[in-house]
Amino acid sequence: MILVGELSLWVALLMAAWATTVSFSGGLQGRADLVKSGERALYATFAFTLLASIGIWTALFTHDFSIKFVASYTSANLPKIYTFTAFWAGQAGSMLFWSLILTGYAAIAVFTNRTKNRVMMPWVTGTLGVISLFFLMTMCFGANPYERLDWIPPDGRGMNPQLQNPGMAIHPPMLYLGLVATAVPFAFAIGALISRRLDAEWLGAVRRWALLSWFFLTIGIVLGMWWAYVELGWAGYWAWDAVENSSFLPWLTGTAFLHSIMIQEKRGMLRKWNVTLVVVTFLLSILGTFITRSGIIESVHAFAQSNVGNWFLGFLIIATTLTAYLVSTRLEDLQAKAELESMISREAAFLYNNLALVGICFATLWGTLFPILSEAVKGEKITVGPPFFNAVNGPLGLLLLALTGIGPLIAWRRASTSNLRRQFTWPVTSGIVAFSVLFALGMRNFYALVTYLLAGFVFGTIAQEFIKGIGARRRMYSEGLFAASMRLIGRNRRRYGGYIVHFGVVVLFCAFAGQMFKKDLAATVKTGETIKATDAYGHAWTFTSLGVSQFEQLNRRVLAVTFSVTKDGKKMGVLSSEKRQHVDSRGEPTFEPSTEVGILESPSQDVYMVFTGAVDAETAAVHINFNPLVWWVWFGGIMMAFGGIIVMWPQAQKERESGYVAELPAASEALLVGAGA
Amino acid sequence: MNHLNGSSPSDRRAFLATVGRGALGAVVVAVASSVTAKRLLAQQPANSQSAASNVEMTSDSYKPVRRTPKPGATPLMDDKQVEAFERELACPCPCTLDVYTCRTTDFNCGISPAVHRDVKALVDGGYSADEIMAAMIGTYGDFILMTPRKQGFNLLAWFAPFAAIGVGAIAIGAMLRGWRLNATKATAARAEAAHRAPTSSSNAPFSLPPDVDATEAELARLQAALRHDPQ
Repeated sequence: MILVGELSLWVALLMAAWATTVSFSGGLQGRADLVKSGERALYATFAFTLLASIGIWTALFTHDFSIKFVASYTSANLPKIYTFTAFWAGQAGSMLFWSLILTGYAAIAVFTNRTKNRVMMPWVTGTLGVISLFFLMTMCFGANPYERLDWIPPDGRGMNPQLQNPGMAIHPPMLYLGLVATAVPFAFAIGALISRRLDAEWLGAVRRWALLSWFFLTIGIVLGMWWAYVELGWAGYWAWDAVENSSFLPWLTGTAFLHSIMIQEKRGMLRKWNVTLVVVTFLLSILGTFITRSGIIESVHAFAQSNVGNWFLGFLIIATTLTAYLVSTRLEDLQAKAELESMISREAAFLYNNLALVGICFATLWGTLFPILSEAVKGEKITVGPPFFNAVNGPLGLLLLALTGIGPLIAWRRASTSNLRRQFTWPVTSGIVAFSVLFALGMRNFYALVTYLLAGFVFGTIAQEFIKGIGARRRMYSEGLFAASMRLIGRNRRRYGGYIVHFGVVVLFCAFAGQMFKKDLAATVKTGETIKATDAYGHAWTFTSLGVSQFEQLNRRVLAVTFSVTKDGKKMGVLSSEKRQHVDSRGEPTFEPSTEVGILESPSQDVYMVFTGAVDAETAAVHINFNPLVWWVWFGGIMMAFGGIIVMWPQAQKERESGYVAELPAASEALLVGAGA
Repeated sequence: MNHLNGSSPSDRRAFLATVGRGALGAVVVAVASSVTAKRLLAQQPANSQSAASNVEMTSDSYKPVRRTPKPGATPLMDDKQVEAFERELACPCPCTLDVYTCRTTDFNCGISPAVHRDVKALVDGGYSADEIMAAMIGTYGDFILMTPRKQGFNLLAWFAPFAAIGVGAIAIGAMLRGWRLNATKATAARAEAAHRAPTSSSNAPFSLPPDVDATEAELARLQAALRHDPQ
């Protein structure tokens, strides 16, 4: 099977080359037979990439250490689940995994469009073929997962202990599913540009893909945050690390696209901008991959010591140049007769939402790349750390949060003063109430207060939208509360699913603001000694050391410290943190020791403990953090994903039309006014 | 901090060199800003640049920063202030964290505890936060700071994002005004057309006052009609 897999990789490469060649020439000559052949070749590329992947999985499970990749990332005693996930633990394997997803997506995109969009499909197939070809080539000639060692080691090097975590098993696939999905809208954009089919047709084809990409990126990013939080031990979930940033960039432009696409759908405007966002989202996902894989920027994640960075840079430059050429030569086709009845309209709000999202994207990219620029221009290395990103992106994030609340309240086309007053009264009141309550409770942190003021406002907006919608249904159809709520969401999935996503965003912002009240302390204690501390809420905590223990577990030796914890005199249970030394199948230590943090989780705050080292058999050094509202980060992430599922859920045409009625309460007056203009 | 796959500094530098030669954008920016950069650099205080540009930094290098204690020295900072100070220092290990967070988190990193020892010794030697920071920058260069200083070339780091957003906001404003103008023209054109052929205006039933009181069903019909309106 391993040999079959290895050969399949090369066949997949040939298939991708064939798909590219015949699709483009079929498109140029208008020959349906060539186009068909190209589509079949793309299916074949997927089939052979799948075989190549099965080959690697076989090698991993049979512990074939003659293969460099297997020997580098696994050992005979690695738990089965991590042997499976080792597929994407290293450079070459993850490239194959990326190709597998890409060719899979390409096959699905071609299959679902076999009777649709026929004019642009040859170019779409060709573009997907080119991208697949690039990845397969990079793998075959730059980082081949089937590369053999000159000798067969008795055991592999094992997997980095920090990757032996459930979060790390799911986070990369989710992220890849999201990043790779940006290739399909890109291919459609290129198809539309080449075939000059730049009306609404191509947008319809890509919206679902853009959503899918957004959905997986959201889950991937939140899972990455969770992994960093539980595994790395610095009690945070986001450090504006170059690699974190590189996954965030396409998310930002993708989110901007999902909003601006609505303007094109409803008003036929922003055609150039939408094409640009789709293209930029894909290029940013490639740039992110380049940053991650080239080791160009210092990061905890860097897949270093390989030359695939050059391949990615080349691809990035060529793709950017060609797309820029295509867009610039089609500007006239993208011209739309744009009209705006009023500066105070949802169209304008969406534009500013896009500005905030793209602004955060630019600031993040700028901060990430600035050290390179500084080194190139001044020859001096500098650090652009989290305080920079917080200082620059903080205000922009708050602007975005405000717009999340404002956008849905402003009508399309034009909002009248009375309409604005009616729409804004309750949300603004809700924001002021949130602010006043927290201020009265003694909160004085400026950023936190502004965040909660805006969060109260956005929450008010969302609640008002649901209350109005449900009320309308109850009046019109005499439905019960539950039935009305379910049908409201079910029949307007895009709109109310979107509001659920917004709710998740509000929750996330509230949780981020909680970080302003983080408290921490470091202490060294003997068994039986007690650490006393007070958290941000004023609760008195005690941590009594129950001692340091040593034991063996699975593929590691563990040194653990355990504390008995009380809060205001009430027992909260025990908290334990471990220092793990992983060993190979011969009992030899592999990698450096890693920490396993202890977390006492609750919605109000996490008590997060890190065992920083044992001074002697009785004495442990620990670092304790009181981390407010972290639980809500995960909850907000889940809500965003849940909202995303609602938006993506397929909806029959008939249902959509009948459900349209419920959209009226918010938009009715605007429509009347708009119609009157 | 564990480096997941151990980066090799020399590879990194070689790669950076390639990128420096190859990356079109970087080169363009470099050329465009070289004149400005030189001028700005000339304005920088001497102490900030003196040692920095001569130090060959690698990603995981610790460099001792020692000074003779001042005579009769007493510490000018307490532990909390030292903590806050160390949060402004980037750990020279590849963790991308600050010295305080790194040293209280990751026991594999020998660098942040060493930097901490240097800071403590300087504090005990009677040096102020500013003096210690100057000494740190003198040895490590600006790399030791968590954020770029707001001076010289680095000003670009801080202001470019806001400048870009400002330009974006102005562009959007201009575009919206353009759209608004289109709408005004179109309305005027429609009004003129209606004036010429008054009978056709009977097909436009939408000139309802904003405070109209209509049921949802009526509004629904209206909206359906609007949606089928080719305009």
